[in-house]
Amino acid sequence: MKLRILERLTVLFSWAAGFILLAAVFLLLGYLLVKGYSSISLSLIFGEASPLRALLLEERVFDGLFPAIAGTLVLVILSIVWAIPIGMATGIYLAEYAGPRVKKMLDVFFDVLSGIPSIVVGLFGFSFAVFLHKNFSDKIGPCLLISSIALSFLVLPYIIRTTQASLEGIPRDIRLTAIALGATQLQNIFLVLIPKSLSGIMSGIILAIGRCAEDTAVIMLTGAVATVGLPKSFFSQYEALPFYIYYISSQYSTPDELMQGYGAAIILLLLCAILFSIAYGIRRGLTHFAFYRA
Amino acid sequence: MKKLGELFAERVFLLSALASSSVTIAILVFMVFMGFPMMREGGFYQLLLKPWEPYQGSFGIYPMILGTGAISLLSLVFAFPLSLGCSFLITTIAPKPVRRGFLRVIELMTGIPTVIYGFVGIFLLVPIIRELFQRGSGMCVLTASLVLGIMITPTMTLFFCDSFDRIPRTYLDAADALGASHTQKLLYVILPSARKGMLSGVILALGRAVGDTLVSLMLAGNSVRVPESVLEPARTLTAHIALVIAADYESPEFRSIFACGVVLYLFTMAVTFLVRYVGFAEDRNY
Amino acid sequence: MKRFSLLQLLLMVFVLLAAYSPAFSGSLDPFKNEKGVLKISGGTAHIPVMKEAAQKIMVVNPEIQISIAGGGSGVGIKQVGEGLVEIGNSGRKPTDEEIKRYQLKLYQWAIDGVATVVNPKNTVKKLTKIQVIDIFSGKIDNWKMLGGVDRKINIYTRDETSGTREVFWEKGLDKGAIAPSAHVVVSNGAMKTAISQDPYGIGYVSVGHIDKTVVPVALDGVVPTIETVRKGDYKIARGLFSNTKGDPVGLTKKFIDFLSTPDGRKIIEKQGFIPVR
Repeated sequence: MKLRILERLTVLFSWAAGFILLAAVFLLLGYLLVKGYSSISLSLIFGEASPLRALLLEERVFDGLFPAIAGTLVLVILSIVWAIPIGMATGIYLAEYAGPRVKKMLDVFFDVLSGIPSIVVGLFGFSFAVFLHKNFSDKIGPCLLISSIALSFLVLPYIIRTTQASLEGIPRDIRLTAIALGATQLQNIFLVLIPKSLSGIMSGIILAIGRCAEDTAVIMLTGAVATVGLPKSFFSQYEALPFYIYYISSQYSTPDELMQGYGAAIILLLLCAILFSIAYGIRRGLTHFAFYRA
Repeated sequence: MKKLGELFAERVFLLSALASSSVTIAILVFMVFMGFPMMREGGFYQLLLKPWEPYQGSFGIYPMILGTGAISLLSLVFAFPLSLGCSFLITTIAPKPVRRGFLRVIELMTGIPTVIYGFVGIFLLVPIIRELFQRGSGMCVLTASLVLGIMITPTMTLFFCDSFDRIPRTYLDAADALGASHTQKLLYVILPSARKGMLSGVILALGRAVGDTLVSLMLAGNSVRVPESVLEPARTLTAHIALVIAADYESPEFRSIFACGVVLYLFTMAVTFLVRYVGFAEDRNY
Repeated sequence: MKRFSLLQLLLMVFVLLAAYSPAFSGSLDPFKNEKGVLKISGGTAHIPVMKEAAQKIMVVNPEIQISIAGGGSGVGIKQVGEGLVEIGNSGRKPTDEEIKRYQLKLYQWAIDGVATVVNPKNTVKKLTKIQVIDIFSGKIDNWKMLGGVDRKINIYTRDETSGTREVFWEKGLDKGAIAPSAHVVVSNGAMKTAISQDPYGIGYVSVGHIDKTVVPVALDGVVPTIETVRKGDYKIARGLFSNTKGDPVGLTKKFIDFLSTPDGRKIIEKQGFIPVR
């Protein structure tokens, strides 16, 4: 009964694999939490400044994570602002207007785009910044604007794909109802199709937000620095949470700084976990909601 | 009047689509453009084969190509069995409640940032490897591959599960009708049918492993020599870009990173086309 | 009426003046009415001094924003030359070619050294110059050849843009080779972290950066401290420079001038360097 042994082995193997993976994850999270637990406090974020005054931008924070967190937030918002319109428009085009040959060709482009390593996108952003600096204006260099544009390139495929997939997933009868009643294609898209596929699109957007928040390679080359405080303008450099974690891990000068690194890692993890759960909840909840409404 | 609005909207959408796709091309163009003087001088082919010794005037990226190859392939070796086993668990072997919980955990894992893997790797894994093998500093190909393997496992697992789900129900029902147990169904029906899908998953995971920067930057030691064993430090193409970016804008060192960019880009294209080909072949079967 | 002697008069004036000027205000006054952005990058050894100076200035005048990045001396020189930053720091004197090409103006504000360092757990604390050259080239590759444990030596070096590397290579290694199997780290801080975590590692770092986490190795009998550097006994010394493209103006000039004020010199000393000028 060689076959029986093979089956037994398979079961054993699978459970072992699952166990190893779970152990790895718990080890990772546990280590972070155990080591970093003691650093979680308001002073982790605000340093020696008073939290209220720092939030009102009256006092500068020097030893805390506040500039990095703020930088990440601003960066993510900007990137999404660039990515959403173009991404959704492209997705709409692909789902509603494109012919099969055009679709296939564009598909290839976006597949490639989604596979490009983030550091190559960062390199592109950097060389773009240098190009602008040399040929247009002395004031432009790697900065918040360039970073957010580069990041938007990174997450464009996410938004395009989810928009396209959600739109294409709408059943034919819903698709044709408004048209049958005399609506134009545009009206159909904006008044019927998009609202129907909103949950899918939203979860894609949230995933894109998560991707922007956690990325390090792109911002490392396009404007994130270790120390600068809150970003003052689109053309200024900025701090960001993932970059801070990377920076601290390779060059911490005191145990306190290392503790800050742990704290930053925990905050980043929490941030990504929250975003991810929201995306998941939206996908589940909105469909549930739509189901039970209709 | 309405017609005009419609036409305008369509043009706008088309423009966005063109803009997005042109980004893909623009990236390649910039890479080639910036790296061109160097490639023309030394010949692109030569660049790929020479070692990195700036003081001797040699700016080849050969050690980096090997470093990338070693680390990504080794990480696949770790990730493939893990993903296979986990996907088995999720689709058939584990009891229903465990399945869902496990799936949830795996989905959550895909959201963990890479920098966190690197961070924990430096402080937790590097000393362990150093003391366990009593050789080297702990920053080596092995460490980077282990962490990278764990990192790509969730994505590969989800992909495998997806391929398993795509198998026509008729196959599964047939197996059930014949009285097969879960495991038998798995081994003899699902696996062979999902072969092509799994291949796509492996290729995509390889693409992701090759493209990762932080894990190898933080954990693999970044030496410029071709590693002679898995316990030696190595440098990947991606880490090389991150390290050398700081140099000046006309030097051959700087231009070499665009050569890295081109290599990575070409690899991405190869992965994309390969996956499409495999997927296309699979579609034809059904 | 009592007649005050000259000495008492002077003493009174002195006390009055001291009471009326809080410690830092003098040096930081020029920054009070400034505003704008100052971008600094380059040598990683300079970063602690830059950070502290920037903090003091930004506290006095929140309208000023000073951004500090690392990258190494090569980066500092190139970026200031290209106009991407206003001040480019370097841990080595820019070459004549660089000065001419970028029209650099140099300001040396400190003296520093470059020391060979090992992990505190390492028993090997004294080396001759020949030994150091052989270690870094890979000829001596096991600690037991130097009286330590039987483990391979892990070499840590800096990337090519590093001024620290340049100085160490020239003066410490006599331009000898550095083994290609060496681990590469990107800054003085990173070198310290790496060595402090690897009991079998050896590397080189700015003397001002040395703290309890790493142990400097005596070179031919001279322990590298800022004192031996100042006295000239320890030979691997270098200046810390801040470079600008052309003559500095406005905020840039004030920042550089600040480094030679008493408060600036205090910061430099505190971070472990010898202030100059």
